[in-house]
Amino acid sequence: MRVALAEDGALFREGLVMLLEAAGHEVVGCTADGDSLVELLVKQPADIAILDIRMPPEPDGGLVTAERLRAAHPGMGLLFLSHYAESHYLMRILQIGTEAVGYRLKEKIGSVEVLSDTLTRISGGEIVIEPVLARRLVERPRGERKGVISTLSERELDVLRLMAEGRSNNGIAAQLFVTPKAVEKHIASIFGKLNLHADATEHHRRVLAVLTYLRSQRDGD
Amino acid sequence: MMLEPAQRAGDAPRSASEQGAAPGPSTPVTAEPATRLSPPSEDARLRAEREQWRLRRSLERQLHDGAALRISALTLQLGLLRQRAAEAGCDLQTYIDDFQDELHAVLQELRDVSSKIYPPLLDEAGLGPALREAADAMDLPVRVDAGEDRFGPAAEGAAYFAVVGFLQAVPAGSARLDVVVRREDHVLAVDVIGAEARHADAMLGAVRRLDGAIDVVSGPNAATITMRIPCE
Repeated sequence: MRVALAEDGALFREGLVMLLEAAGHEVVGCTADGDSLVELLVKQPADIAILDIRMPPEPDGGLVTAERLRAAHPGMGLLFLSHYAESHYLMRILQIGTEAVGYRLKEKIGSVEVLSDTLTRISGGEIVIEPVLARRLVERPRGERKGVISTLSERELDVLRLMAEGRSNNGIAAQLFVTPKAVEKHIASIFGKLNLHADATEHHRRVLAVLTYLRSQRDGD
Repeated sequence: MMLEPAQRAGDAPRSASEQGAAPGPSTPVTAEPATRLSPPSEDARLRAEREQWRLRRSLERQLHDGAALRISALTLQLGLLRQRAAEAGCDLQTYIDDFQDELHAVLQELRDVSSKIYPPLLDEAGLGPALREAADAMDLPVRVDAGEDRFGPAAEGAAYFAVVGFLQAVPAGSARLDVVVRREDHVLAVDVIGAEARHADAMLGAVRRLDGAIDVVSGPNAATITMRIPCE
């Protein structure tokens, strides 16, 4: 995959370039700030841009840069890296795009397998969310949601957590060692209990419905 | 082994001449009467107090840009090592995975420390997002109403820790609370609606050093506590 990245920490940036290359990806651009990356990508095609959230232009250059990149290259995947996994940033990222986006902790992409899996899922159009954050969203939903979440079975909670990570039915099935058919049944049951409309054809929309459900305040936020 | 204070490296005089030069605490150098410094002016005291909050914020940034980033970079280097070892037929995978998990745990602890020094989300996104995140973590029915206005690190820091301190004192299963953040010219005003009036004292303690004030309006069931802090 052709990858471009912007990160202001030199040590981390260099480590990431090396790991990307070891994973067989082509690093087509590497900058210390967002504006330079936007400029570089005017002429240089790339499949995915990796962005540090907290970098120049301050304070959250990664988000501003992502907005510009999404407008200029709608097909380019975006992977956000941060030292913090916050639902505040997740919601802002989902406002930039709900397809081919990812949000992960910097220290959690430190293997060739995880890095490649993350990039592959993003370039396949999925939403990829840091499991630590997905788990927190499911375990600590806002306000009134708690009561409904507690009516889910153990297995349904597993499925919901993996959905909140953005995983597809096949991805969830592989993680839980069950068939995709069984996953579909669980998802239908979860959506019934959460009183959400299950739009079975659109994976990312379903993920979005789940995330919005977990995050919204009782009377809308 | 515990060192006696005098044995600590930093405390010991570095040379004999230094030792000789230092006057003993019991022998005053001169017999002139001591001059007591006058207390700092109100302005100077307030400036110093605000400076403390700026310092806390810069410590958090230092942790983020320094130690935390180095450790994150280390996990990438370990990932590279894991790959090279596998290519060389060396089975280090489990060890390196454990090592990386441990570094993640270290970073989680640093994040916890950072959030107590000066919450990064408060620095980056302001009172609204920071208070919402804190309320979620405490599992209380709190609704936060805040715009995108910013009030400077001191007023925001003091208001944040005042509200969070209050939320920590609220018993679980309480009725819904509303927190409203607004600006009154050069004053940050925060209303806590649905609180018990007895919490007002603790809030005053948290904001008074920035010349903050607290007003309490008692209702039939619960009070509205309003804090006002002069801000940037």
